[in-house]
Amino acid sequence: MATTEFRNARFRASFADPEQLLHAVAHLRSAGHRVLDTYTPFPVHGMDEAMGLRPSRLPRACLAFAILGLALAAGLQIWTSAIDYPLIMGGKPLLAIPAFIPVAFELTVLLAGLGVVASFFVAARMRPRLRIPDLHPGANDDCFILAAELAADVQFPAVARELAGLGASETSLLVEDRFQRDTSFWDRSAGAGALLLACLPAFLILALVPVLNRDFQKRNLAWDGGMGAPLSAQAFDASGVLPGGEVLQAPPPGTLSRRGDPPLAFGPGKAEAERAGRELQNPYQPTQGRFNRGKAIYERVCATCHGREGDNNGSMIVARGAFAPTVLVSPVVRGMPDGRIFHIATFGGPTKMKGYGDLLSREDRWNVVLYVRELQKGSVKPAPAPVPAGVQP
Amino acid sequence: MAHDADVLTGAGALAGEAERYGHNLPLIEGNKTYRQVTEEVFAPTERRPPLRWWLAISVTLSMLTLGAWAVFQTLTRGIGTWGLNRTVGWAFDITNFVFWVGIGHAGTLISAILFLFRQRWRTSINRAAEAMTLFAVMCAGLFPIIHMGRPWLAFWATPYPNTRGSLWVNFKSPLLWDVFAISTYFIISLTFWYIGLIPDLATQRDRAKTKLKRVILSVFSLGWNGSNRTWSRYETVYMLLAGLSTPLVVSVHTIVSMDFATSVIPGWHATIFPPYFVVGAVFSGFAMVLTLMIIARSVMGLEAYITTRHLEAMTKVVLATGMIVGMAYATEFFTAWYSGNPYERYVFLNRALGPYQWAYWTMVGCNVLSPQFFWFKKVRTTPWMIFILTIFVNIGMWFERFVIIVTSLHRDYLPSSWAMYRPTFIEVAILIGSFGLFFTLFLIFTRVLPMIAASEVKGVLKHGDH
Repeated sequence: MATTEFRNARFRASFADPEQLLHAVAHLRSAGHRVLDTYTPFPVHGMDEAMGLRPSRLPRACLAFAILGLALAAGLQIWTSAIDYPLIMGGKPLLAIPAFIPVAFELTVLLAGLGVVASFFVAARMRPRLRIPDLHPGANDDCFILAAELAADVQFPAVARELAGLGASETSLLVEDRFQRDTSFWDRSAGAGALLLACLPAFLILALVPVLNRDFQKRNLAWDGGMGAPLSAQAFDASGVLPGGEVLQAPPPGTLSRRGDPPLAFGPGKAEAERAGRELQNPYQPTQGRFNRGKAIYERVCATCHGREGDNNGSMIVARGAFAPTVLVSPVVRGMPDGRIFHIATFGGPTKMKGYGDLLSREDRWNVVLYVRELQKGSVKPAPAPVPAGVQP
Repeated sequence: MAHDADVLTGAGALAGEAERYGHNLPLIEGNKTYRQVTEEVFAPTERRPPLRWWLAISVTLSMLTLGAWAVFQTLTRGIGTWGLNRTVGWAFDITNFVFWVGIGHAGTLISAILFLFRQRWRTSINRAAEAMTLFAVMCAGLFPIIHMGRPWLAFWATPYPNTRGSLWVNFKSPLLWDVFAISTYFIISLTFWYIGLIPDLATQRDRAKTKLKRVILSVFSLGWNGSNRTWSRYETVYMLLAGLSTPLVVSVHTIVSMDFATSVIPGWHATIFPPYFVVGAVFSGFAMVLTLMIIARSVMGLEAYITTRHLEAMTKVVLATGMIVGMAYATEFFTAWYSGNPYERYVFLNRALGPYQWAYWTMVGCNVLSPQFFWFKKVRTTPWMIFILTIFVNIGMWFERFVIIVTSLHRDYLPSSWAMYRPTFIEVAILIGSFGLFFTLFLIFTRVLPMIAASEVKGVLKHGDH
């Protein structure tokens, strides 16, 4: 539209008072000139009638957006509360219309307000502009300016004299089309509010596709891991509050197994170990079941240090150069009575070994004793430990 | 849109209004020209701040820093740093939230409701009052968010499509209504404020001395050139936004009151709550506007724009709403007695005579007694007296929320779970910090943007004196 040709010369006039501007506009129009626009520091009362402007149609855009907001709010609440997530809360019906009123009202106001402002910006073609035409200096300060087009067959100097008589402080001809157009498609159609309105439902329907096709097998994109990454400690994390950072602290002396074993009439120490060797008998007979159980316990708990065959072969602590534990298949241990081995399994050994009385049930400790005896007989040849794929032996 | 233009300029109607008002005082004193208005309104944004501004902002920034430290403590160490317990599960945070939301309501009332009622004296104060609304709502929003413990997950309060199985927010919960009400209120208030600012931003752009300032203002003034075709639409939009904001502001505190009223806690479960809260909000908000304006007009030298006539009109609102609030206190007691419900009766006796009676009587003294001084014209037109009384009103309104929340919670149905609540230093520091945030933002606002709506003031300049 920038190519609009001047039908006639255009000019501007500047006034110091809004009343003078109003009179000048009325005078120019009655004389057949075309008033294009006025530029004033505040809205001048009566100027719309003087310029012959029709009332804005923005209230209709506002109403349309309000209806859209209401429909959106109703749809969102009804669909989520009664259809997609029908969870009864507070004993209220799924379709609790009165409870939906507040949010419906807020969204109606929100869309009506934002919608009418957006429509206003589009209709008035308001957008960030780095250069403002120099047509109306002072119009935002204290000048009241009009821009008009001469009627046919009228010369500018005559009009300028008339305007000066009406109080114009300055009049000049305009050489460029630097003021904004008086009418345009957007002005006539009350803004792209209508266009936005037409597009918005389509966008909303498009937005529904991913909402309805959610894949509940997939996790959300969560920028902090959400509940999946709690602030609580993870397994094997060093403890910040327990001595030595160890989460699993040694129980206090005299702690009993929670499995309900009756108290043992022995205390720790070498003398008690020898007494146990004299007084205790293994109450269980070797069976295939006890063998399997003892093997499982041994390989999970004991083999780490003593080796899978009781000969320190494959011992983790030996491999790391800590120290060598007692060799279970050695003549010394072969010569120990069952009760003494049981006592060591319960209270720990004379050197480094800790007791397992608080971790293994009494029956399991006897099962381990049975299994150690089988190891000593050499009748057990455990399968070699599996080598994980990709590790060179 | 002549009838809209009339709203902002209103030549004839205003003379009549001045007659009805009883005297012909001009809205703006000093017989100023349009140019003078421009110069005086924009001057603070164009010169270096005076020493007392720096002193003031150093105080408010210190308060803000203390609050930031307390929020950091809350977030890193948890809500256990607060004085809450199982019986009193929310206290200081929700008190501050309701207090700040209430403060904000005066801004919207002045900008929207007084606009619809054609109260043209609002033009001098609406810009600053709306800014106050925005800053107060920011302070309010802080409290529920930090009470969440994990504020970075605050967006979970919004209904958004997710893959956590079918999972949506509970639209039947008043707390969710709050999310919608407060965020809508903030967005619409911001929009309303910005629309009102555009003509003044254009003036500021035209006066800008530096290129950076000019570019920034060009972006935000959206090419405004004072065109009457734009003014015509502008006034339509302004009127529509005022019309939308009016029920909005009433809805916001109504919904805030429903956070309490929809529960079954004695002392909360009352139908009087929505109007009671809305009036209390207007009461405290106007008191805060007065406090700020009395400081600002003297510090900024704007006594000609914010005249004693403005102050007097606002004190009358404070007096009227203060008496409605007093009426509500009496009504609450009547309701409790008339209900015959022993729990309700106990809660109100406990409020007035129990361990928190000091808070209750502070509230009554500040909210019911102190506004009564506004019956005297001498008090209504003496800024320092107004200043002191409005400080009392705001103390009282803070205590009103504290009393409603804590006294109702700390002793309800089950005596074995009765408890006392006292805030920790962290909680007090967060409250101080919220005041620091509020005043810091306001101080920055007074130096960056025109504190008075110059384009609106120019429209009423020629009125009231003829």
